Amino acid sequence: MEIFFILLIPLLLMACALAAKKIEELGYACALGYLAVFLLSLSLAATFLSSGAPISYFNFFYADALSVLFVLLISLVSFCAAVYSIGYIACDLQKGVITFRKARVYYLLFNAFCLSMLAVPLLNNMGMLWAAVELTTLVSTFLVGFYTTKHSVEAAWKYIIICSVGIILALLGTILFVYAVFFSSGLKSLNWTDMMACTGSLDKNILQIAFIFILVGYGTKAGLAPMHTWLPDAHSQAVSPVSALLSGVLIKTALYALLRYCMIVNKGMGTNHAGNYLIFFGLLSMAVAGVLILVQKDLKRFLAYSSVEHIGVICVGLGLGSAIALYGALLHVFNHAITKSLMFLGAGSIIKRYDKHNINAIRGVIAVMPFTGVLFFLGMFALAGFPPFSIFISEALIVISAFLAKAYWPAGLALFFIALIFAAMILRFPGMLFGQRPPDQEKTPEPLSTKLSLGFLLALACLMGFWVPGPFGRLLDQAVGLLRGV
Amino acid sequence: MFCMLTAAYGMLSAKRMTALIANFRLQSFFLFVLTLREAAKAGNAGLYIVAGLLFAVKVLAIPVFLFKIAKNIKVSENLGLLVNSQLSLAAGFLFTWGGWAFSRQLFGGRPVLMYTFTAVAFAVMAMGMFLMMFRMAALAQIVGLLVMENALFLLCEAVSGGMPFFVEFAIFFDVLVSVIILGIFVYRINKLFTHINVNKLTNLRG
Repeated sequence: MEIFFILLIPLLLMACALAAKKIEELGYACALGYLAVFLLSLSLAATFLSSGAPISYFNFFYADALSVLFVLLISLVSFCAAVYSIGYIACDLQKGVITFRKARVYYLLFNAFCLSMLAVPLLNNMGMLWAAVELTTLVSTFLVGFYTTKHSVEAAWKYIIICSVGIILALLGTILFVYAVFFSSGLKSLNWTDMMACTGSLDKNILQIAFIFILVGYGTKAGLAPMHTWLPDAHSQAVSPVSALLSGVLIKTALYALLRYCMIVNKGMGTNHAGNYLIFFGLLSMAVAGVLILVQKDLKRFLAYSSVEHIGVICVGLGLGSAIALYGALLHVFNHAITKSLMFLGAGSIIKRYDKHNINAIRGVIAVMPFTGVLFFLGMFALAGFPPFSIFISEALIVISAFLAKAYWPAGLALFFIALIFAAMILRFPGMLFGQRPPDQEKTPEPLSTKLSLGFLLALACLMGFWVPGPFGRLLDQAVGLLRGV
Repeated sequence: MFCMLTAAYGMLSAKRMTALIANFRLQSFFLFVLTLREAAKAGNAGLYIVAGLLFAVKVLAIPVFLFKIAKNIKVSENLGLLVNSQLSLAAGFLFTWGGWAFSRQLFGGRPVLMYTFTAVAFAVMAMGMFLMMFRMAALAQIVGLLVMENALFLLCEAVSGGMPFFVEFAIFFDVLVSVIILGIFVYRINKLFTHINVNKLTNLRG
């Protein structure tokens, strides 16, 4: 039953947003609502782990280890973004940047966005999954263009157009998959479970071509280079809690859809067919991000390019296909989501305080906002993959597995690009964080909601670097087994 | 099916927004007729509903909405052709050949009628993408997207006799919502930039 409540709560919160009289109360309701969603996701994980079998309702909703993992991730980041939004939106309202009506619209869209993302991993029908992914784009477009400035409207336009073209190609791939199933077994079904059941007899030629469309389609939404061009624009212009959601979980939902098809293709072809494509696009994404990040001056664009890099790291891990690599890749999905959310939320607070996006124009963050400044500084190391933070563990697992598989070139290139991006961070961020407090900036207390969300995310990034909790580890193991077809 | 292709050629050679939207409406109407014929042949109630939705959404609602935007934004009717009509048409013929070749490779050995359908679908899809890439007006990008969706619909009809009804419904809903959102953003672009030329949206680069 958890599945229904997980989807029902954001729906109820949307209704609350329409009826709300006070924005702060609405913010608290949302935070509590997503805390409940997170707890329900934990309960779903516990139910799944105790029974060991996928949970299915009406052959429409379906939750196996992979779904549960992604639901857990989405609910966690949504909760943090909801907590952070309390102070952020209240501040916008207080400064007169937005009206009360617009603040309500924000919460309405925020909840619709979370709902559509939560639906993606819980659907068995690949046509409905496609519709849910498309819905995430449609809803989040307004959140990207929320401030209605020239920059944000331009970013929103590019976002919806590029992602819509991508998603149409994904639909083309879906139709070809349906045809492959229909032609081989006479079964007219879009259910993933049905598709997996008849993979042995699928036409390999069609399967290969269909997968290319799926890869380009969902890869566009996942931010894989060279289809990533919407990502830096959208992530930099969105409202900061939404930037965290876009970077932390939205691109992962597209990756989830891609993974479902990878499983069908690999089983149908009898080899790690999808793996080669994933390694290629993964390395390409890392290369593009590694070069372009060096010239970024906008703080949020810088972080957006880092997301392109990390999606590349994940794809390399998934492409390698060994148990260690897959474990590392799935762990990296989680680690990147929490660390990048921390950084985007921190960046949001910094930009709001200084009213500047340019890294070179921002100085003395730690002196002005000690809590955010210190956490942002630590987050920088976490994001760069420095020990003892969690990203170090997952990146190390992926690189080690590449060496073990004798994939020396991918391993070497991945290491090079990771080092390049680390260097870019070290060059850019300390200048912004340290130094004297600018005379026009007063040291004022930071909102509690900001402290709570940033603190929680950093604690999690640290904790996961030392210890993967037992049930979570078992969930990862089962997801790895699923991906390997064991 | 060939009428859909002809309408796509019409869109490639169109120089004005109203001509483009009218051709899109025509193409959607042909798609509606095709779906209706399939529904009658199969006696499938679901397909009748899909045909009805097609007519309501793509033949009536969306073109009316697009015409209204074109009228309200008060900018030049010109589509802003990056590639002129003649060359665009030549590209259209090339896409038709490409669609045929691709379809034969993918569905070779299946009934000729089927891969003729799929060839037209692939060609129309490529033409939709061409419109999005080589027309500067934001409205043309919306129409290009819709043309691609029409092509997908045709492909789906050809290869699997359509998707399950609730999936078709979800796709229609998504199409309608996306056009409304795109329309709203065309208004916003026009208000902020005083034009709807997407090639001039260059504030965000790098």
